[in-house]
Amino acid sequence: MGTSVQVTPLCGVYNENPLSYLVSVDGFNFLIDCGWNDLFDTSLLEPLSRVASTIDAVLLSHPDTLHLGALPYAMKQLGLSAPVYATEPVHRLGLLTMYDQFLSRKQVSDFDLFTLDDIDNAFQNVIRLTYSQNYHLPGKGEGIVIAPHVAGHMLGGSIWRITKDGEDVIYAVDYNHRKERHLNGTVLQSFVRPAVLITDAYHALYTNQTARQQRDKEFLDTISKHLEVGGNVLLPVDTAGRVLELLLILEQHWSQRGFSFPIYFLTYVSSSTIDYVKSFLEWMSDSISKSFETSRDNAFLLRHVTLLINKTDLDNAPPGPKVVLASMGSLEAGFARDIFVEWANDPRNLVLFTETGQFGTLARMLQSSPPPKFVKVTMSKRVPLAGEELIAYEEEQNRLKREEALRASLVKEEEIKASHGSDDNSSEPMVIDTKTTHDVVGSHGPAYKDILIDGFVPPSSSVAPMFPFFDNACEWDEFGEVINPDDYVIKDEDMDRGAMHTGGDVDGRLDEATASLMLDTRPSKVISNELIVTVSCSLVKMDYEGRSDGRSIKSMIAHVSPLKLVLVHAIAEATEHLKQHCLNNICPHVYAPQIEETVDVTSDLCAYKVQLSEKLMSNVIFKKLGDSEVAWVDSEVGKTESDMRSLQPMAGAASPHKPVLVGDLKIADFKQFLSSKGVQVEFAGGGALRCGEYVTLRKVGPTGQKGGASGPQQILIEGPLCEDYYKIRDYLYSQFYLL
Amino acid sequence: MASSSTSLKRREQPTTRDGDQLIVTPLGAGSEVGRSCVYMSFRGKNILFDCGIHPAYSGMAALPYFDEIDPSTIDVLLITHFHIDHAASLPYFLEKTTFNGRVFMTHATKAIYKLLLTDYVKVSKVSVEDMLFDEQDINKSMDKIEVIDFHQTVEVNGIKFWCYTAGHVLGAAMFMVDIAGVRILYTGDYSREEDRHLRAAELPQFSPDICIIESTSGVQLHQSRHIREKRFTDVIHSTVAQGGRVLIPAFALGRAQELLLILDEYWANHPDLNNIPIYYASPLAKKCMAVYQTYILSMNDRIRNQFANSNPFVFKHILPLNSIDDFSDVGPCVVMATPGGLQSGLSRQLFDSWCSDKKNACIIPGYMVEGTLAKTIINEPKEVTLMNGLTAPLNMQVHYISFSAHADYAQTSTFLKELMPPNIILVHGEANEMMRLKQKLFTEFPDGNTRIMTPKNCESVEMYFNSEKLAKTIGRLAEKTPDVGDSVSGILVKKGFTYQIMAPDELHVFSQLSTATVTQRITIPFAGAFGVIKHRLEKIFESVESSTDEESGLPALKVHERVTVKQESEKHISLQWSSDPISDMVSDSIVALVLNISREVPKIVVEEEDAVKSEEENGKKVEKVIYALLVSLFGDVKLGENGKLVIRVDGNVAQLDKESGEVESEHSGLKERIRVAFERIRSAVKPIPLSASS
Repeated sequence: MGTSVQVTPLCGVYNENPLSYLVSVDGFNFLIDCGWNDLFDTSLLEPLSRVASTIDAVLLSHPDTLHLGALPYAMKQLGLSAPVYATEPVHRLGLLTMYDQFLSRKQVSDFDLFTLDDIDNAFQNVIRLTYSQNYHLPGKGEGIVIAPHVAGHMLGGSIWRITKDGEDVIYAVDYNHRKERHLNGTVLQSFVRPAVLITDAYHALYTNQTARQQRDKEFLDTISKHLEVGGNVLLPVDTAGRVLELLLILEQHWSQRGFSFPIYFLTYVSSSTIDYVKSFLEWMSDSISKSFETSRDNAFLLRHVTLLINKTDLDNAPPGPKVVLASMGSLEAGFARDIFVEWANDPRNLVLFTETGQFGTLARMLQSSPPPKFVKVTMSKRVPLAGEELIAYEEEQNRLKREEALRASLVKEEEIKASHGSDDNSSEPMVIDTKTTHDVVGSHGPAYKDILIDGFVPPSSSVAPMFPFFDNACEWDEFGEVINPDDYVIKDEDMDRGAMHTGGDVDGRLDEATASLMLDTRPSKVISNELIVTVSCSLVKMDYEGRSDGRSIKSMIAHVSPLKLVLVHAIAEATEHLKQHCLNNICPHVYAPQIEETVDVTSDLCAYKVQLSEKLMSNVIFKKLGDSEVAWVDSEVGKTESDMRSLQPMAGAASPHKPVLVGDLKIADFKQFLSSKGVQVEFAGGGALRCGEYVTLRKVGPTGQKGGASGPQQILIEGPLCEDYYKIRDYLYSQFYLL
Repeated sequence: MASSSTSLKRREQPTTRDGDQLIVTPLGAGSEVGRSCVYMSFRGKNILFDCGIHPAYSGMAALPYFDEIDPSTIDVLLITHFHIDHAASLPYFLEKTTFNGRVFMTHATKAIYKLLLTDYVKVSKVSVEDMLFDEQDINKSMDKIEVIDFHQTVEVNGIKFWCYTAGHVLGAAMFMVDIAGVRILYTGDYSREEDRHLRAAELPQFSPDICIIESTSGVQLHQSRHIREKRFTDVIHSTVAQGGRVLIPAFALGRAQELLLILDEYWANHPDLNNIPIYYASPLAKKCMAVYQTYILSMNDRIRNQFANSNPFVFKHILPLNSIDDFSDVGPCVVMATPGGLQSGLSRQLFDSWCSDKKNACIIPGYMVEGTLAKTIINEPKEVTLMNGLTAPLNMQVHYISFSAHADYAQTSTFLKELMPPNIILVHGEANEMMRLKQKLFTEFPDGNTRIMTPKNCESVEMYFNSEKLAKTIGRLAEKTPDVGDSVSGILVKKGFTYQIMAPDELHVFSQLSTATVTQRITIPFAGAFGVIKHRLEKIFESVESSTDEESGLPALKVHERVTVKQESEKHISLQWSSDPISDMVSDSIVALVLNISREVPKIVVEEEDAVKSEEENGKKVEKVIYALLVSLFGDVKLGENGKLVIRVDGNVAQLDKESGEVESEHSGLKERIRVAFERIRSAVKPIPLSASS
């Protein structure tokens, strides 16, 4: 029977929480997405912690916190150790997003859920795939093929296809069918009839998406209006996702209008982000790669945008109206929060939200309508310790160090006592006269332990503390010292090495300032104070989320028309709405599981494989229809040498079958066809087509969505007995194949 | 694995069908180097690999033998990398032939392709009629070229293909093509050695059934990269130290970037050389720098790490040189100039002026095509012919240090041993080198299961793959797995090379196709009584059921459970049925009947009586006809005992039972012939039984 598939949401169903789903395909457990929110709420990860160790592979879809934020934490704390699969941009931009998150958090709190090293470790072993690369899983996943495909929401963002035995499980969340400046639209509609489709209902209730041109115009008008009256514009953005589209819009507009207002892109990793993005042209829209191929203009060579990686640079910037894109989009941390607090009370300023803030964050609060007049904000800051505190800190540190040293020495002592006498003849580099050492151990041994220098631990076999001493004995023969010819071979690789060590850093391109910030080990502390911010600046929200709207989602799902559908990631109403819609119009198996509720979406499709014998195939005449060919077969089951079922031609005459008309008639196309044949044809009311004078043709029965997914078509042709009738009937027949 | 579903059949097996024949024909690069172009055909799918020109020829003579194929039949054209011997006839092929398939290359290849060919058009000094294409053709071709990323699987008309890193130049790819489970690997130019900026060629995870592999290096073994680099820098260092000039003729792109990386680094490490200029005389390369800076993802980790600090392709010691007019030839210098073969252009101009001074040196940094001057001077002749036709002594030192990034024998043989393809086709190599390679490879694969072929241009290699066709029966048809002898009937849907069998009413569930029912309703004027129609229909058709229409309460008739006849009004009746051939026929006869009633009532009554009477006569007539037809076919036919017909042909006797159609005869051929003939006769004289249709 079919491949067994179970879906268990771990987070992000019936609400807008981060996404994380467990999909098990024939016992192989995929964790698809591993998201967290900007508040880093550990309670969200509880379901994940229960299954983390059973995960066999992790698939990441988008490079933002909601889709991969929990990866470092899960790897470090929850025992997640499976290989991770992602596209190159998701890997790289995801890494930068996490750096930015960490550094923003670290600035304002004693953030200890994960460290930079944890991030590095988590991302180190990501297996990078390209779009439509069919990757055959090794080992336990033998027979499973995974492939990322264009999702259209963020750079590198993917919808995942998991295939086993010809059955597809498709995971598509946050896709966008509309082409944007830097991204192609999704290819979701190229999949038809997958066994399972897991998708989000996030935008199911969202319908009035404005046309791109109009939206861009409003966006730029709003910004320029505020700039011209001397106000500043803040766009709270994500680190490396949707912000790229905004940058391109601004950049394009600035060069067209010749604006001189500065644009700043301020995150802890902004310059690395853009450097990487510049080399990701393969992943971007056709128009971007085409313009590069013909004129070698890299769209992300930003001429009007200044990349900043710390706030001081912004403060030092010349005064005057400016546009600042800063992370985080939630205003919970990062530069955006600081800037918001600074700018909020000037009515000339504008805070422009380009996406719906995460639930329960400051951004969400400000997006409510009517917007709040005041918001209470806890501002925290990391300040270096000074004065008494510093002294206290140092004392504390010293005390800790001493205690540790003491403990270490005690342990050492134990060890030495235990090993005493048993191995003092072992061949350590310190070859010392054993007779004398015995005395030392006996009398002064422990007394010296305390005076050791930090970092130097004497080997356990040594009898007294002593710096390592290596006797460099050389061998001699009658010609002098015996030499090793290898030592004198010219090192050809020197030239390489000269270049290599300029590379340095593992991840290559962390900004220097960032690096210094990371390495900054000066004692510091976090101080918080609560303040009330008067919100007198303008607050505007525009949709630059880059997700398909409700109507497109519905038609997209109808087009894909999966055999089974699983809905996730949306508030209850939206989920319910889409579920009802799909049940009525698309497919009878729609599931919307709760957290940790496992739904079994194993297809109840029956199938078996047969071999088509040469004899049979030589008698089959295929008829071409679109990109497939059809034929009727009557056959008898036989066996091949390898004991496989094979279809042979019927020995006797086949019993006649009911004739089948195969084809998909589009009334509009047919109209055109008829008029090309010289038949007078026009639409009459009710979807009917009036052909000639008397004959009418219409589709009847439940039409449902387009695409013919809902069932066989029913076409009614009626008219009086006349020549026209038969002529039109013949034309109609010509649109079908009779099998 | 690839070979599990396919089994290779040898040529001598007679049962193979045309569809299983796989043909590989080199149209260029068959036992030669240059104009790579390999045609492949299997199961009606046609693929062309590469589309190059021969750098040693000009005009039409440089093209591959496109006449051998019909360009309009090519489904897919795959370009491995941007070198002119692999890509330069593409504008011609796209714009001047009937080709209308799809073209694929990698992103980097496409970006450089345009620059390189535009430059090629400008540089090549040929007359206008010899021009194969102009800049416009190149620009037009750009719109038709599609891009493919490494490892990305693309499917066109059922042909699946994807590409691997080839390591030869930036963006170079090896293509793996999968047609109905048969896999073909075309390596293009490849190198398994990682260098300064490129990754080594990958080892595909699937073993191909056929491997079309380059053999440029033949049985040679390359020196290690470090030794080559050292020789290179040593020659340059000593030459310039003695006040000589160094000429490096190189292709503008590809290996030149590698050499520049070496030189720039060497100069940086040797401050004493810093006053000696290095010129790179290629405005083209400067334009391509943006491409090199962008597609770092296609390069190795080393360069990507370096890129983090500063762009390694922004050279500190290398100066651009646009033309010989800007060049003041004073004192020692290093000049890297195009074209690589010293055919014409700047490299030739410099060569002509420097070749007679023995202080100077010329370094040939890569493989040179037969027929070019660069190839000639490798053998260090005493004299060379200059561009102006004069001869001059060749005194300058000539060094051949290959950086060409073609796999050498060690790489080729390990590559093939890892893959173990049952068929190896060698292309892109000189005939002699290729034969040596073939001989040596034979010793590596002694078990005889590997065929190694070296076709010449236009020589086809034929192979036979008998791949089983597997179908998946799904849905209702598959509810019960059938046993041997059971019958399976349904719609067979073929998409690409996958087959599915399903029940007709599930067609829309499992495929994008859908079925349709066409309901027809036709109204006929009829003024008579409805009862007359009923009466007449009952005379002709076996099954006529009366009922009343539920909505209107009017009488209705159902004929053969197919066609409903209804009295719509006093003057009209309507016929309604859903289309299929038999129903259409029934309805036609009803229409005829109704029309006849209204036209000539009395005559039909007479006919009707006749019809009843003639039942018996009809039977007799049928027998007569059968008899007459059999006589015309077999000659001697007699009515034997127990009603059987006795037929004699050439002394063989057969008895035919007219009722059952059974034939008895000792001669099986005759028996079969009579049986078939009788069946045909019977189906001709006896009407189709209606029951057969439901």
